[in-house]
Amino acid sequence: MEFVDYLQAVTDGVMQGAYYALIGIGFTLIFGVMNKINLAYAAAAFGGAYASLGVAALMNTGGDFGLPPLLMFLASAVAAGLFAWVVYTICFRFTPDHYELATLMATVGAFFLIEEIAVHATDGEPMDFPEVLHGIVEDPMIEFSDAFAIRGDLLTIFILALIAMAVLLLLLYRTKLGLATRAVAQQRTAAQLCGISVDRTNATTFIIAGVLGGLAGAMIGAAVGVLSPLLFVPLTVKGLIVTVIGGLGSIPGAIVAGLLVGGLENVFLALRGITERDMYVMLLLFLFLAFRPQGLFGKKVLRD
Amino acid sequence: MDDFTWGLVQIVGVHTILGLSAYVILLTGQVSMAQAGFVAIGAYVAGMLTVLAEWHIIPAMVTGGLAASVLACIVGFPALRIRGLMLVVATIAFGEFVRLFWFNFDYRIAKGDIVVGPEGGEGFKQIRFFPENGWTTQDVAAFVWVVAAIILATLWWMDRSRAGKVLRAVGEDEMAAQSVGINLTVVKVAAFTAGGFIAGIAGAIYAHYTTHIEHLNFDILMATFAIAYPILGGLANVWGTLFAAFFIQVIVIEVLRDLGDVRNLMFGALIILVMNFLPHGLFSAKVVRKLKEWMGIGKMSDA
Repeated sequence: MEFVDYLQAVTDGVMQGAYYALIGIGFTLIFGVMNKINLAYAAAAFGGAYASLGVAALMNTGGDFGLPPLLMFLASAVAAGLFAWVVYTICFRFTPDHYELATLMATVGAFFLIEEIAVHATDGEPMDFPEVLHGIVEDPMIEFSDAFAIRGDLLTIFILALIAMAVLLLLLYRTKLGLATRAVAQQRTAAQLCGISVDRTNATTFIIAGVLGGLAGAMIGAAVGVLSPLLFVPLTVKGLIVTVIGGLGSIPGAIVAGLLVGGLENVFLALRGITERDMYVMLLLFLFLAFRPQGLFGKKVLRD
Repeated sequence: MDDFTWGLVQIVGVHTILGLSAYVILLTGQVSMAQAGFVAIGAYVAGMLTVLAEWHIIPAMVTGGLAASVLACIVGFPALRIRGLMLVVATIAFGEFVRLFWFNFDYRIAKGDIVVGPEGGEGFKQIRFFPENGWTTQDVAAFVWVVAAIILATLWWMDRSRAGKVLRAVGEDEMAAQSVGINLTVVKVAAFTAGGFIAGIAGAIYAHYTTHIEHLNFDILMATFAIAYPILGGLANVWGTLFAAFFIQVIVIEVLRDLGDVRNLMFGALIILVMNFLPHGLFSAKVVRKLKEWMGIGKMSDA
C-alpha cells in the first residue's frame, strides 16, 4: 500500500468513526451520571433506527420512502430516546443502588429482549435502509485525485455527528439541565441536597444519550444501507471499547477515541482483511488496559 | 426416555457446569463475560486432541480445561488493576477476541480419505469420539453428569471450607478482606483460573456431544447464560446455579417449545423481572436461611 492509500483508509475511517464516537458518548454519559454501564444502550439505539423505518413505511404513499431524509434521523432520535427511557425504567429505576450486578444483568436482559423483538419484527431478515443521504448530497464523491476522494455520504454523517456533539456540549455546559446533570455526576448527595431530583436527572440523561444513539443508529443504517440485528453486538463492543479508550465518563475522550478507533480500524481492514479487523481493535483495547487503564482523558483511578 | 430427553439431560448438565464456572468468579465480586471464550478454548483444544491426535476423551477434556485455565489466569491479572465495570468491558472484548481467533483458525490434516480439523468460519466438524467408540446417548448423559457432580461436590465442599470464606470475603468487601491479611491478587487470579478450568471442561464436553462446533456457538449469548445461571439462581450456594440451569434450559426453552419463537423473548424478560423483584437471585442468602429454618436444619450452625 502506498501512502495515499493509507490516507484514504484513515480519512474514510475517521468519518465513519463519528458514529462510534456518538455511541461511546452515550455509554460514557450514563456511566458519568450513574456509575453504571447500560449494556442495552446500542441495542436501544438501533431500536430507534428500526422505528424510523416503521414510521417511514407508515407514511409511505408513493413508490419511494415518504419521509424527507432529515425527518428519518429525527424519527430515529425520538424513538431511541423513548426506548432509552424504557430501559432506564425497567433496568435502573427499581434495581438496588449499591448492587451493580443486578443492574448490569438487567441491561443484558434488555439487550436480548430488544434484539429478539427486532428479529421477530423483521423475520430475521436485514432491512434495507433508504439512501437518505443521496437526497442531501448531490455529488456522491469529492475527488481530489485518482487515488484519493472523500465520500459525500460519509462527510454528511461526519458533519451531522459534529453538530450533534456541539449541541450536546452546549446543553451540558450552558443550560440549567446540563448543570444539574454535571452536579449529579460529580456529587450525587450534594446535588440532592441542593434540591435536584436525582431520579429525574438520571432519566433525562438516559433520554439525551438515547437521542444521540438514535442519530448514530440512523447514520449507520444510511452508511451501511441495511439494518440487521447482527449489528447489535459488534456495535455494543465497539462502543464500549471507545468508552474505555477515551476514559470512562469523559466526553472529549469518547469523541477522540471514536475517531481514532474508526481510523485505525480501516487501516487494519486494508492490511489484514475483514475477518481479522476487529481482533486488532481489541488488541488496542488490551494495550490500553495494560498500560493506561484510565484511558486517554480519564481520571487516574487510585486503589480504594 | 427417548434420545431427545437424554439429549436434554446432556444439555442441562453442560449448562450447569458452564454456570458453575462463572459462579466461582462471581463469588469474588467480579463479573466475567469471557466464559464463552474459555468454553471455546476447551472445546477446540479437546476436539483437536481427540480428532487429530486420537486421544481419549478424559485426558483431552482435562487438557482443554488446563488450556482454558492458563488463558483465564492471564486474563485474571489485569483484573487486579481494572475493576468493576471496566472488567466487564475487558472480558466482553476478550470473549469476542477468542471467538474471532477461532473464526480465523484453520488447521486441517488428512485422516484416511477425509480431511478433518478446524476450518475457520466453516467450523470444526466430525468430532466423533463418542459415536466412533460406541457410546450411546445414555452413556454420554451419564458421563456429563458424573463430571457435573464432581464439580458440584467440589465447589459445595469448597464453599464450606476456608477457601470459600476467603472468596466471599473478597466479594463482600475487598478492603476489609485485605486488612485481615487476605492476598487479593492470589484470590482473584485463583478464582479466574478455576473458573477458566471449569469452563474449558464444559467446552470439551460440548464439542463432543454436538460433534460440530463453530465460532458462532461461543457468542455473547453463551457468555450471558454462564453468568445468568448463578445470578438468577442466587450466590448463596451451588444449588441455585443448578436450579437456574434446569429452569431455563428445560422449562423456558423446552417445555414452552409450543409457544414457538416467543420463548426467546422470555429469556430477556425473565432476567429483567428477576433482577427487579429478586435482585439477589432466587436462592439468596436470606431465602436459604429461611428455608433452612423452615425445614428445621442448620439451626445450630453458624448461620
